[in-house]
Amino acid sequence: MSLLHEFLEKLGSDIARHTYEHVCLTSAAMVIATALALPLGVYLTRCRYPRLVALILGVANVVQTVPSLALIAFIVLVFALVKLPTIGMLPAVVALVLYALLPILRNTYTGIRQVDANTIEVARGMGMTSAQILFKVELPLSLPVIMAGLRISTVWTIGVACLCTLVGGGGLGDLIMRGLRSIQLDYMLAGTIPAAFLAIIFDWILGALEKALTPRGMRE
Amino acid sequence: MIEFRSVTKVFPNGVRAVDELTLTVGEGETLVLLGTSGSGKTTTMKMVNRLIEPTRGSICIDGLDVMEQDPISLRRSIGYAIQHIGLFPHMSVAENIAVVPRLLQWDRERVDKRIDELVSMVGLNPKRFRMRYPNELSGGQRQRIGVARALAADPPIVLMDEPFGALDPITRDQLQNEFLELESEIQKTIIFVTHDVFEAVKMGDRIALLDQGKLQQLATPAELVESPANEFVEEFLGQHRFQLALLTRTIGSVTTAAQTDLTPPAEKPGTCLHPRHSLIEALDLFKRTRAVKLPVYRSDRYVGELSKKGLLRVITDVLGETEDAA
Repeated sequence: MSLLHEFLEKLGSDIARHTYEHVCLTSAAMVIATALALPLGVYLTRCRYPRLVALILGVANVVQTVPSLALIAFIVLVFALVKLPTIGMLPAVVALVLYALLPILRNTYTGIRQVDANTIEVARGMGMTSAQILFKVELPLSLPVIMAGLRISTVWTIGVACLCTLVGGGGLGDLIMRGLRSIQLDYMLAGTIPAAFLAIIFDWILGALEKALTPRGMRE
Repeated sequence: MIEFRSVTKVFPNGVRAVDELTLTVGEGETLVLLGTSGSGKTTTMKMVNRLIEPTRGSICIDGLDVMEQDPISLRRSIGYAIQHIGLFPHMSVAENIAVVPRLLQWDRERVDKRIDELVSMVGLNPKRFRMRYPNELSGGQRQRIGVARALAADPPIVLMDEPFGALDPITRDQLQNEFLELESEIQKTIIFVTHDVFEAVKMGDRIALLDQGKLQQLATPAELVESPANEFVEEFLGQHRFQLALLTRTIGSVTTAAQTDLTPPAEKPGTCLHPRHSLIEALDLFKRTRAVKLPVYRSDRYVGELSKKGLLRVITDVLGETEDAA
C-alpha cells in the first residue's frame, strides 16, 4: 500500500498532466478524423465512379498498413519540406488523424451500403428526398456499424498516440520514453497503465453512446 | 384514372421489361398486374410513381403526364405498399405510419389522430400497437401496418407489390378478405401486383396478364377464366381452371338452370344466397348450414332457390367443361 502511495506521490502530477495531453491529442484527432471520414464515406456511397471509390478506399487501406512509427517519420519529413513545424502537437495530430481515418471511412461506407435496398426503395417510393433518405433511413440504420468504426478507431488512436512523444507531441508516451531511457519501471508503468485505462474507458463510453443512439426496433 | 399509352421500358442491359403496354385503370378500380417473375408487372407498377422511368410512351394520371410532374410530390400523393420488408425497422408503428403525413407537414395533432384511425382501421388496437417496433410484430400484423401506412395520407391511388406475399395461407386469406372489405369502403384506385392467379381473381376488378413485358389479356376475372385470349393465358391458368371457375362463376349465372321453386317463402330467412355469390361460396354455405336447399335473394327480392344437388350438378358440369378445355 505504501508502495502505491509512494508511486503516486512521486508521479501523480506527471500522470495527470500527460493523461490530459493524451486525451487532448486523441480527442482532437478523433474529431478531425470523424469530420473528414464520415462525409467522405457518405459521399463514396453516392459516388457514380466506382474506380474513384476503389481508389480512395485503397489509399486509406495503404495508409493503415504503414507502420505508425514510419508514418510519423514521413510526416515530419513532409512538414520539413513545406516548412511547417516538425515538432509539437501539429505533426502528432496529423499522423493520428491519418491513422484514425480508415475504420470510420470504411464502416460508414459499408454501413450505408448494407442497408437493405428494398428499404431505401420504399423510402423513395414514399416521396423522401435524397437527403431525407440519408438522415431518416440510411444513417439511423447504419449507426451501429458506424459507431463500431468509431470505437475501433478511438482505441487504436489511444495506442498510437503513445508515439507522439517522438515528435514532442506530449502525451503518456513521454512517461514511457523517460522510463525507457533511464531503465525505470515505475515511469513505464505510469505511462502504460493510464493508456490502457483510457482505451477501456473510451470504448465503454462509445459503447454506451451507441446503445443509447440505437433505436429500440434494432436492438437485439 | 391512370392511362398507359404504348409504354415501353428497356433497361440499360438491353432487357425489354415492358413492351408497348397500353391500358387504362379506371377511377376506384382495382387492377391486378399478374404474371411470373420477369413478366414486367413490377416494372409497370413502379413507372406510375417514377421509381422507374419509361423509355418510350406516356403514363398519365388524370390527364397529367407523370414525367412532367415533380417526382417527390408525385410519390407523396400515391400510396405505396410492398412485401414484408416494407416497414422501417428503426421506427415504431406510429412513426412508420406518420412518414408521409410528416413529409407533407401535417400538424402533430392531425398526424396523431390519423395514426389511431388507421391502426384501428386495419383491425389492431392503437393503444397496444402504436409504440411497437416492426420486430415486435407478427408477419400478419406487419403487413396490416404496411397497408395502413400506404393509406396514411389518404392518397387516391395506391400501388401494392405483393402486399400479402410471404404470409402463411390462412393469414393471407384473412388479410385479403379484410382488405376487400376495407377497399369497398375507401374506394381507391389500386394497382395490385401479384404472381398468384387465385389472389388476382379474388382481389381484382380486372386483371392484366403480362408475359415478357407484353400484355396477354386484359379482362375481368370471370372473362379471363372463361375465355382465355390465347395459348399463353390458357397455359398460365393451366390445371387451376376448374378451381378458378368455381371462384369466378356466380350463382346468378347458373341458377336459371338449377332453381326449382319460385314461390317465395313468407319472409326472408337468416341465411340465404345472393346471385353474386361464387359457386365456392355457395358450397361453403351449404357445408356450414348443412341445408338441403337455400333461397336466393337479390337484396330483398326473392329470385329463386338453389338445392345442394343442383349446385353439385353445376359444379360437375364446370369440371366437365374445364377438362374438355384442357
